[in-house]
Amino acid sequence: MSSRASLMFLLHAHLPYVNHPEDSSFLEENWFFEAVVETYVPIISALERLSAEGIRPGVAVSISPTLGAMLENEALEAKLQEYIESRLELIERELERAQNDPALFKTVKLYQKLYSEAAQLMHKYSGDLITPLKALQHAGQIEVITTSATHAVLPLLTRPEAVRAQLAVAAEDYLDRFNRKPAGFWLPECAYEPRLNSYLKLSGFNYTFTESHAVELASASAPNGVYSPYRTSNGLGLFARDAASSREVWSSKFGYPGDPAYREFYRDLGYDGDYESIRPYLGADGARRPLGLKYHRITGASADLAAKQYYDPDAALARVEAHASDFLARRMKQTDDFYAARGTRPLIVSCYDAELFGHWWFEGPAFLETVIRKIRQERLPLQFVTPSEYLNSCQEPQEISPGISSWGENGYFDPWVNETNDFIYPAVYSATDKMIETANRFRNQDLNSLSARALNQAARETLLAQSSDWAFLLYIGSHAEYAKGRLEDHAANALKLLTEVIEKRVDEQALARLEQQNSLFPRLDFKVFASVSRF
Amino acid sequence: MAGLSKPLPAEDRLVLLPKNPGRFFIFWQLSGGRAEAFRSGAFAPEAELRLTYSDDKTHASSHRVSWQQAGAYLTVPAQGRVYEASLHAQRGGAWEKLLESNQAAAPSAAGMAEERAYASLEFHKRSQP
Repeated sequence: MSSRASLMFLLHAHLPYVNHPEDSSFLEENWFFEAVVETYVPIISALERLSAEGIRPGVAVSISPTLGAMLENEALEAKLQEYIESRLELIERELERAQNDPALFKTVKLYQKLYSEAAQLMHKYSGDLITPLKALQHAGQIEVITTSATHAVLPLLTRPEAVRAQLAVAAEDYLDRFNRKPAGFWLPECAYEPRLNSYLKLSGFNYTFTESHAVELASASAPNGVYSPYRTSNGLGLFARDAASSREVWSSKFGYPGDPAYREFYRDLGYDGDYESIRPYLGADGARRPLGLKYHRITGASADLAAKQYYDPDAALARVEAHASDFLARRMKQTDDFYAARGTRPLIVSCYDAELFGHWWFEGPAFLETVIRKIRQERLPLQFVTPSEYLNSCQEPQEISPGISSWGENGYFDPWVNETNDFIYPAVYSATDKMIETANRFRNQDLNSLSARALNQAARETLLAQSSDWAFLLYIGSHAEYAKGRLEDHAANALKLLTEVIEKRVDEQALARLEQQNSLFPRLDFKVFASVSRF
Repeated sequence: MAGLSKPLPAEDRLVLLPKNPGRFFIFWQLSGGRAEAFRSGAFAPEAELRLTYSDDKTHASSHRVSWQQAGAYLTVPAQGRVYEASLHAQRGGAWEKLLESNQAAAPSAAGMAEERAYASLEFHKRSQP
């Protein structure tokens, strides 16, 4: 063994806040249900299995405050249970249909296992998936960090008050949820600019992550590139994403998820199935849409959807084994090359959206588990470390001034600022400016309960208007009308509530409805938006 | 810019946002009085956006715009510098400064962009069948 490298996996779990208690079934709530069944449960189960076997995962998981709020929302939990039960019922029917088709039967059984395990884990933790994450963190198996309150792209918030509010609310939310202060902060979309350093430190965060070119563009030279941590002038720790290990997993074209044996995402029973058979499982409008049961494999990059062949779970698992071995061999080579050049051991930081594992790349959780397990089984000179562990044990990191960057397309802010979505910013800024102005006006006043509730709800609505998700959905043209409506509603709700408080005519019934629907951040105090806040 | 479905309060605002090393996005909103001054012809319909270097306050570039377009993409004069913008209107042949923006830093360009894998975009951008 010529060297021993440290690997750092950061899985960023985030969904926009989608909660429609007024509807028994709401299409966009399926994002949450699908992610729970396909991603969060399989990852938590894998982490628990490894831990139970004495293999410490040592990964970091970022749980966005909006996702955390949904994971703890009892109304969504009830709908999730119905969703899982409904899918299990559909799977029973599909098993009957597949009785004489062994290849299909095997895949349907796989889905039965997936949904049954989701039901079991939800039952085990009384519907609260924060509990196992908290337990794993408490046992030192993983580190859980947070991100901005509603996943705002912080460099696009020009008002300091708005940035501070996003950070302060996230820190308080984490404390409430995990019973400790957060050490790490995932910058939404890995979007960094230098003025964030002071806000992050003032909010109590010790470290964050940047895209690799933030380090490449640093004003001072960074001789170890992305292979060591750094610190800013005010002592904020920085980890830079390693592009190579990210590309192997992220890229559907060149990376592992594009393997012909893996499950095809875009061919779904919701489009293929006999309409009358699947009709009860579609939405109220009866339109065909994905049901999460996908029976085909990628087959080939150029294969037409109609030409996709049946999925074979055993063949896919064999590829998982091969890809995990390949991933680790490449990290070993990276390590050896770096050691030969620098004479020191590298830190390799791999950051991924958690939802890639399971939802988009069906075999992703198995890959993750296999990679972690293989290091132990094959006694490889690699070790997983969490960010806090690494910072606590390494030498004082070198100081650098990283460059402005993001992990979005082209490396800056193009996905969130372009001709498809730029029209949203007047609404975002209108709500934000009015929120700051009103917080300043009322911060030292004794307010009656109704006015305080209205101001606090206006702060929630303002934060929700700032979410990066609306701009991104508009950009990719997916659920664009929903995204536009949400953005406009949150901005309008904030402006309406603030005006009502100023004019002393708060509509209590309308306020109560908003409090029920957008019920995240229960302790939120509107003064967090004041120009001179608690900092 | 495409429109919002819901009207916003008539307020004065000029916001400069970074897009990439070569482009800024800037948008403006005008209060009722200023919008009326354009509508009535008191101001000429063509306004001017001026970019200034924040560190030494020197002029960086000027861009003519229609006051009604409410937003524009501006070429960044030099990467890696911090800018602020102002919106000017012409009354009787003389320019008046109407609005000033926030400061915004233009990123520096990095190499190898094509080799990076950018988040989940590849998956999201594939359309549903």
